[in-house]
Amino acid sequence: MSVKADPNWEPKILAFCCNWCTYTGADLAGLNRMKYPANVRVVRLPCSSRVNPQFILRAFQKGCDGVMVCGCHPGDCHYATGNYFTRRRFMLMKRLLEYNGIDPQRFQARWISGSEAAKFRDTVTRVAGEIKALGPNTRFQEKWYEEGGEAQ
Amino acid sequence: MQLKRENLIPALRLLAAQGEILVPTAVDEKVSKFAPWDGSSAPDLALVNTTLPPKDTLFPHQEGMYRYKTAGEPSLEEIVEAPARILFGVRPCDARSIDCMDKVFLGDKYEDAFYARRRANVTVIAHTCAQTGPTCFCDSMGLSPAEAPSADLLLSDTETGWLVTAQTEKGEAVAALWKDLTAEGGEAAPAPACTLKTNMSDALAGTLVSRFEDPIWDEVCHACLGCGTCTYLCPTCYCFDINHEDHGGEGTQFRCWDSCMFSDYTRMAGGHNPRPSKKERLRNRYLHKLAYFKERYGQILCVGCGRCVGHCPSHLDITAFIDKAAERFGEGK
Amino acid sequence: MSDIQSALRETAKKLLTEGTVTCVIGWGETRFPDKTTPIFVKTPEDAEKLVWNAHCVCGLAKYMLDNRCPEGKLAICVRGCDSRAVNRIVEDKQYKREDLYLIGLPCEGKDAPICATCTHRNPVVYDVLLGGPVPEIEVSQEDRFQAVTALEGLTPAEQYDYWQKQFSKCIHCYACRNACPACNCTECYADQYRVGWQGKQIDKAENQVYGLTRAFHVGDRCIECGECERVCPMGLPIMSQTRKILKDINDLWGNYECGLTDSRPHILGEFDLSDRDDFM
Repeated sequence: MSVKADPNWEPKILAFCCNWCTYTGADLAGLNRMKYPANVRVVRLPCSSRVNPQFILRAFQKGCDGVMVCGCHPGDCHYATGNYFTRRRFMLMKRLLEYNGIDPQRFQARWISGSEAAKFRDTVTRVAGEIKALGPNTRFQEKWYEEGGEAQ
Repeated sequence: MQLKRENLIPALRLLAAQGEILVPTAVDEKVSKFAPWDGSSAPDLALVNTTLPPKDTLFPHQEGMYRYKTAGEPSLEEIVEAPARILFGVRPCDARSIDCMDKVFLGDKYEDAFYARRRANVTVIAHTCAQTGPTCFCDSMGLSPAEAPSADLLLSDTETGWLVTAQTEKGEAVAALWKDLTAEGGEAAPAPACTLKTNMSDALAGTLVSRFEDPIWDEVCHACLGCGTCTYLCPTCYCFDINHEDHGGEGTQFRCWDSCMFSDYTRMAGGHNPRPSKKERLRNRYLHKLAYFKERYGQILCVGCGRCVGHCPSHLDITAFIDKAAERFGEGK
Repeated sequence: MSDIQSALRETAKKLLTEGTVTCVIGWGETRFPDKTTPIFVKTPEDAEKLVWNAHCVCGLAKYMLDNRCPEGKLAICVRGCDSRAVNRIVEDKQYKREDLYLIGLPCEGKDAPICATCTHRNPVVYDVLLGGPVPEIEVSQEDRFQAVTALEGLTPAEQYDYWQKQFSKCIHCYACRNACPACNCTECYADQYRVGWQGKQIDKAENQVYGLTRAFHVGDRCIECGECERVCPMGLPIMSQTRKILKDINDLWGNYECGLTDSRPHILGEFDLSDRDDFM
């Protein structure tokens, strides 16, 4: 089961993208035939402020190596103010995760608008590279099953 | 036969060949539990009661039951784990708690295979209490700090070491193993009295059940926070839940401790909860300890270790409740 | 202190006799001289059972939630921390202030470690104050966040190891949640068993996820009463998580203490257009 030994290991990255900006930006990247790493799995949400911090924890638990939250630039929110809440929330969450031993690269947030296809491509390429260099994430992962034995 | 204090480490070394020895260990300033012996230092037998009871050894906080695969060729594999273990330095109250759990899991009608396998490979070496803690009340519950009849082997404090009394076949095997380290002589120190006393009686147990709707339950439950501290630190609470950890097409079925103090313990699939508030939950816990278990298995489920009294965040005290009930219902000893 | 105790009994007796309140929540004796337990006084005679001493450590505000649809007013004895807890619960719209009568008790610190870094020994809200205000102690930000700063200095691997060691002790008793005045959800996410947010398995990761979720959920509403740490039977440094959040809030958006009034929106429930932005 060990992923560490696998030379073909590829990171799994979950990207929470807002429907109005980042998802459209990703769509545009596709339309323009831009190439970006296939490590990124996109989850579309109505707004970046829909992302509950628990989603991030859950992603790590279930085996993601990196998590991204992407939304509209401040001021551009479809719902006027959603991403201002996102900004405060994840400024704190990021610091709390780092305090608990999650490497800073593993959780990243970015504002990417609907026209910034190139920024989407560049961001996910960079994040995928960083996480690949870090290796698989084992922290917060549900491992009891793999260890198969008694707790602790 | 007497085991001198200086012979304790050699005795444990001999024992270590028989299985993993679990001794009372301080994890940090606040927490102590039964943990594997480090192989060289003398166990801290002065810890009156470890924070966590030894029940985890027989009835783990979480225990794998089955591994399953649903993807491809479905499979189901029972997880068999029963390491040879020796619980060393168990207090009389905790030794009795193992006896209570045996009654449940190794009952006449039904035997729990997971528990039975572990139990068969565990040897219990009890140790009498040289001193009692501020919340000890085992002698009010029909036990004695100087006896542990259900343990395999009993170590009773003497001035220079311990008297070794084998009480079962497993215990005799241990005594035989130690025969070169033990000698005649030694006199057991008198049993200390428990610091806390309470007025528990058979009659009160019956009365409590008949006073199911008495306002006393309302009065006593107010301060309860509804956390699971008392049940998880209790050496005799044996309730569990079965759950699984699924990893898409494969996973593990496990069971883990559950607590009657939680709302989801009695919640039914449709959402109805027959024990909707902490009053019903606390009443159930007290009645189970003091009456229901006795009706079914003939002995009281509270062993008087005092953990719940010492660790309750709101300082609820089952002994104070017993005395209050005895006074109110006129059922004292 | 005994003067205040008799004043407390008198006040409770008067409130109950006059029918101003139906119940007074305070502290009462136990069998142990160094422990008191919350008591719920409903008759004037029982007011004699109230005590006020150095062992009144249990937070009382949380108990009002057992009585969400009150028939009459409820009186609660409030120290500084309890009064902030009341504000917390009122601000979270779990109880109406007009249904409460607060008996303020200036507190010189109790038999609990958290009291050494207490910044509000005098109740911030009350209907009657028994005894004069006590002098507040100076607590520097360094002292307040000492444990957090020490942990921040570690590498991610060291931090993870530290928290794993701590969380491996967690037994899922949920005492921290049940004692916390900011944990006032009608149904906790951890109890929603069909949703599966919180696994029942006791592995270190699951425990840490619980700890983090709770910390983040209460972090910007934490009143630093220290109940979570006091009640934890396993001695987990839970405040080191919530105080980390408070420290970051202070660093990012200015000095912040909550529970001082019952009307300020909590920090994650508001925003400022000029907030710092790390995500450009």
